[in-house]
Amino acid sequence: MNDRTRLGLTGGLAIASAALISSWFLLVRQGMDPVVAFGAAIPPSLLFGFIGLAARYPCRATPLRTSSATRVLGTHVGAAVVASGVWLLSWNLWLSRVTGSAIHDLPLMLATGALLYGVTVVVHYLTLELEASRHAEEAALRYQVLMREAELRAFKAQVDPHFLFNSLNAVASLCGSRPQDAREMAQLMADFFRQTLRVGSLDRIPLAQEIDLVSRYLAIEKVRFGARLAVSIHVDAAAADTMVPPLLLQPLIENAVRHGIASMVEGGTIELSAVRNDGLLKIRIENPADPDRARARGESIGLENARGRLSAISEGRAVFRTKESDGRFTVEIEVPA
Amino acid sequence: MIRTVIVDDEPLAREVLREYLAGDEEFEIVAECANGFEAVQAVTAHDPDVLFLDIQMPKLDGFEVLSLLDRAPVVIFVTAHDEYALRAFDVHALDYLLKPFSEDRFRSVLQRVRKQVAGERTAPVSLAASLRSRPLQRLVVRSEDGTIDVVAVARIDYLEADDDRILIVTGGRKLPKQQTIGDAAAELDPDRFVRIHRSYLLHIDRIERIELYAKDSRVAILRDGTRLPVSRAGYARLKQLL
Repeated sequence: MNDRTRLGLTGGLAIASAALISSWFLLVRQGMDPVVAFGAAIPPSLLFGFIGLAARYPCRATPLRTSSATRVLGTHVGAAVVASGVWLLSWNLWLSRVTGSAIHDLPLMLATGALLYGVTVVVHYLTLELEASRHAEEAALRYQVLMREAELRAFKAQVDPHFLFNSLNAVASLCGSRPQDAREMAQLMADFFRQTLRVGSLDRIPLAQEIDLVSRYLAIEKVRFGARLAVSIHVDAAAADTMVPPLLLQPLIENAVRHGIASMVEGGTIELSAVRNDGLLKIRIENPADPDRARARGESIGLENARGRLSAISEGRAVFRTKESDGRFTVEIEVPA
Repeated sequence: MIRTVIVDDEPLAREVLREYLAGDEEFEIVAECANGFEAVQAVTAHDPDVLFLDIQMPKLDGFEVLSLLDRAPVVIFVTAHDEYALRAFDVHALDYLLKPFSEDRFRSVLQRVRKQVAGERTAPVSLAASLRSRPLQRLVVRSEDGTIDVVAVARIDYLEADDDRILIVTGGRKLPKQQTIGDAAAELDPDRFVRIHRSYLLHIDRIERIELYAKDSRVAILRDGTRLPVSRAGYARLKQLL
């Protein structure tokens, strides 16, 4: 049921109940002929239908959730008197013109009109509440979609197509000679991608979990690079428990592989260490890199992204340093923890 | 037999090429290389008919390898990057394989190689040169004894014309390369390298100062004390840039 039909029904209900009550009143209390009574009751009831519909505005102006009880009550008592008065006035005018008589029991009718108005107010509040909850549901759904989109975007930015296609090529190659290893490689890739998706949606993860993700990534790269890639990881227990933004280190390690190890004929070792003392988490990534390598644009973008992200989440209190000398590339991060 | 060289820095990537090639008796693998240096040596030593060439490799990339070959075999690029592959296709490299590729696709490439090897070979150097991105980030030089030097552009002090070749001067070393100074200038960043003289292309970061030497003749003094002549046209170009 959409908003318009609900509104129509509310108006119809107001007209019907006003017509019913007023014609019954004329019929029983004032002993009129049924046809005359009905004819005399319908036009003011139509008017009352509009008044009932208009009651939506004071309802919207004083939402139940946010307005005080006195305000709600005051607004609607006032509105009820006005609505009922207008109804009775028009009814009385119409009645005297058609039949020459007047309404006998004005106070009773005034109370009845006010009551009718009260009923329409309740109906309005109900439909408004229904709409609000539906909007809230929609907003929640939209938020979820946006979150998922953001996750996917992060994931896309995260996953380098070069890495994906070369890894798939390694799987294809292993299928021929070592199917067991091919399965293992496929599993490593699936685990890595799934883990990336999962932590990408989180706000903070323990460093140990990020290290786990990095290790999965390096396990895949080791299959590709063979003996050229060696890894040494040292994380102390205090550092492992520290909460960090997800995917903080993975892009840096990816850089170390792509622009460091991949640029060396003999390859080399990626050293990753993390220690925490005196309220400071210190992370250091060091790898060999050919000083004469062709500089890819993505290299500096990856570093700038990491720097920007770190600065944003630490409100500028983090330190992010890169250094390249004597064929070694170093990234140092210091975050208050 | 069609003599074949495989070049890829990843062992598994070489393995799948080897496996597929083993299924065709006409092809013989004469060398497998894990980097650009090995590739240049292998092609020089074996003069193969066909080269399966990865693009992203340590030291020398695939395009640089081709630029160092006097006489290149039929080249098939093997890469995970389709932007390279598309560029290669534009300048009629025989074909390209996008990793990972199917055996059917590989067989169709071999079919094209067979036809090509039976016919004429294309000159590789112009193809390689047109594929490289400009301005160049590094120069590659192969000396007469076969050693290969890779010089990052930032480390070049200046280029000097020497008959039909150029001397690349970097940190006191002079590396000869078979190229005209005009062609070299076209490949380097025009905002960093200025033709200060008919025979000199200077890296502007190296300039200490310019002195008036005689009427209408100036000399550039470099940070290491080297003095290079500056022609009148060269001085105009220099002034424009600075």
